[in-house]
Amino acid sequence: MRSWLPGANPLALVAAGLLAIPASLAVRDVRTGLVALGAYALVGALLLPSARRALGRVLVVVVGSVSIVYSTWLLGGRDIGTAVAAGLRVCLLAAPGAVLAAYVDPVRLGDQLGQRLHLPARPVTAFTAALQRFEHLGAVWAQLDRARRSRGLGPSRSPVARGRHAASLAFGLLVSAMRGASTQAIAMDARGFATAQHRTWAEPAPWTRRDTAVLLLGAALAAVPVVLHLAG
Amino acid sequence: MLLTGPSGSGKSTVLRALAGVLTDSVPGEPAGEVVGDGVAGLLLQNPGDSVVAATVGRDVAFGPENAGVPRPEIWRRVHAALGAVDLGLPTDHPTRAMSGGQLQRLALCGVLALGPDALLLDEPTSMLDAASADAVRRAVVAAADATGATLVVVEHRLGPWLDHVDRVVVLDGGRLVADTDPAGFVEHHAADLADRGVWVPGLPAPAPFEVPEALVAPDEAPLRLRAEGVVVDLRARTLRGTTTTRALRGIDAALPVAATTALTGVSGAGKSTLAAVLAGLVAPRSGRVAGTDRPLHRWSSASLARHVGWVPQAPEHGFLARTVAEEIALTARRCGRRVEVEEVASVLRLGHLLGADPFRLSGGEQRRLATAAALAHRPGVLLLDEPTVGQDRGTWAAVTGWARAAAAAGAAGGVVTHDADVVALADHVVTLERGVVVA
Repeated sequence: MRSWLPGANPLALVAAGLLAIPASLAVRDVRTGLVALGAYALVGALLLPSARRALGRVLVVVVGSVSIVYSTWLLGGRDIGTAVAAGLRVCLLAAPGAVLAAYVDPVRLGDQLGQRLHLPARPVTAFTAALQRFEHLGAVWAQLDRARRSRGLGPSRSPVARGRHAASLAFGLLVSAMRGASTQAIAMDARGFATAQHRTWAEPAPWTRRDTAVLLLGAALAAVPVVLHLAG
Repeated sequence: MLLTGPSGSGKSTVLRALAGVLTDSVPGEPAGEVVGDGVAGLLLQNPGDSVVAATVGRDVAFGPENAGVPRPEIWRRVHAALGAVDLGLPTDHPTRAMSGGQLQRLALCGVLALGPDALLLDEPTSMLDAASADAVRRAVVAAADATGATLVVVEHRLGPWLDHVDRVVVLDGGRLVADTDPAGFVEHHAADLADRGVWVPGLPAPAPFEVPEALVAPDEAPLRLRAEGVVVDLRARTLRGTTTTRALRGIDAALPVAATTALTGVSGAGKSTLAAVLAGLVAPRSGRVAGTDRPLHRWSSASLARHVGWVPQAPEHGFLARTVAEEIALTARRCGRRVEVEEVASVLRLGHLLGADPFRLSGGEQRRLATAAALAHRPGVLLLDEPTVGQDRGTWAAVTGWARAAAAAGAAGGVVTHDADVVALADHVVTLERGVVVA
């Protein structure tokens, strides 16, 4: 049961996440916001495999929303109701997508974008190959960090020094990524990527009943605030 | 056909021209043309550079996908290529959990799946340990025999290939200087090329450089480091969360002073991780590095640098300055030590490059500079991560010479290597396998 949602079609997951964006526009008061978020939370609690992982991502969104609440309260006539509703709206806008993104497999998404949505194959393939390199960047980052530390140029404990250190690592990472990307481009072109005319796909991009169910569930959740808004 | 010549002679450029990827990849004005038809498959030096997909199967399928091959035929080709190379991994095996040798054989599978008429190999085994290199070479030769494809190999180490080629072409300074057969090559060109840095068969490893003691003698008493029951988990962040792999599973190993210790073992055995732990760069999950009051990994960067020098596997990851001279002086200045920049540079044959940008040097020059950058400030403990991989004889003699001279002057040297000639030079050998010491 716990693998039902994460194993779903990445397109269905992305769609369910994106549907929350128009849904959030219907949140005009605190009650609508709370009920809509509660519905998402309930479904999440039932279907997500790891509460901790999801909560970590939700927390980031909540921190952002709190700042929205404060600035709306400050600038929007100090009306606490309006301010909280604005915060809830941002939560609803971002949290479902942030949680679901963790379960999107870039390769399967690429298959779906290319075969089901018939997006142009070259950008889709380049996109998945680039995501493939993302994990490699973590290893390069560690090497750059080690080299600086062993040469006496690691950061001290102060946050400013750490910030500067991170900026310097980021630059080194950029240089390394550019070099890596150009060699990867050579390797890809040498395997016919540059001259590909009618690209085929090694894996099918199936759409199952589960995917339809996930999509409908996403639509139903997104409809909650809309219905409340129209009824109220 | 074997394509050879000293560093910078234009071997890789010729190969890329044959593969038809020259115009986009190399700055400069091309002239002339490459004539012929058929499919060419190119294999590059760095195993990781060719990976395009998250799993073995999808990676091998990339070429056939581009060629518009129907799905059942794609998978027939994928399985045929995997079988020909004997990779021994299922198609759903994640590519990020693979060693360099496995990745290079995966890249070979990717090339074979194209059904190439010519296999173009750009130093395909230079980054690999002897066993992996041998496996890749056998796979290449078997594939060339089975498919009848033309084989063009660029290599620094010629020995193992000479038996498998009919023709040897020697380049120098962008010009063709010889086009002969293996016997004629050994007779007329081998000795000259060995002097120019190429590893030709039948000649012993070069003598390590003589490095003056004053340049390498430790400024402070060297630490006597010893790994005791060290366990290390490496975390990799991915887009979908974090994965942890256990790299070391309870290591006991000493790094004696006034000696060099070779840390060896097949790819993925944990050699580099052990060196990083001994260098105070990675914290053990359990166990400890004995020999200091406070754990080494908690030391400040500046005090760590005074005692430990670490040369990263990829030289460019260690470059922090704009010129060669600044790079050599940087860490010494940080430690408040004097360093004879010009003398260090000239010993490592970098004397003519003091004002050059480190990123614009050749591979061998970068390797020698990385050695100087990490070690010129005379730390008591030296750790070098695969310093001779893919290097010509000159650079090989420079880095081994530095490490041996430092050990002779009292330093504790640790060298991560799978180079049998480097292991033969070491005073002690620690062999790892899957994160444990086996010898």
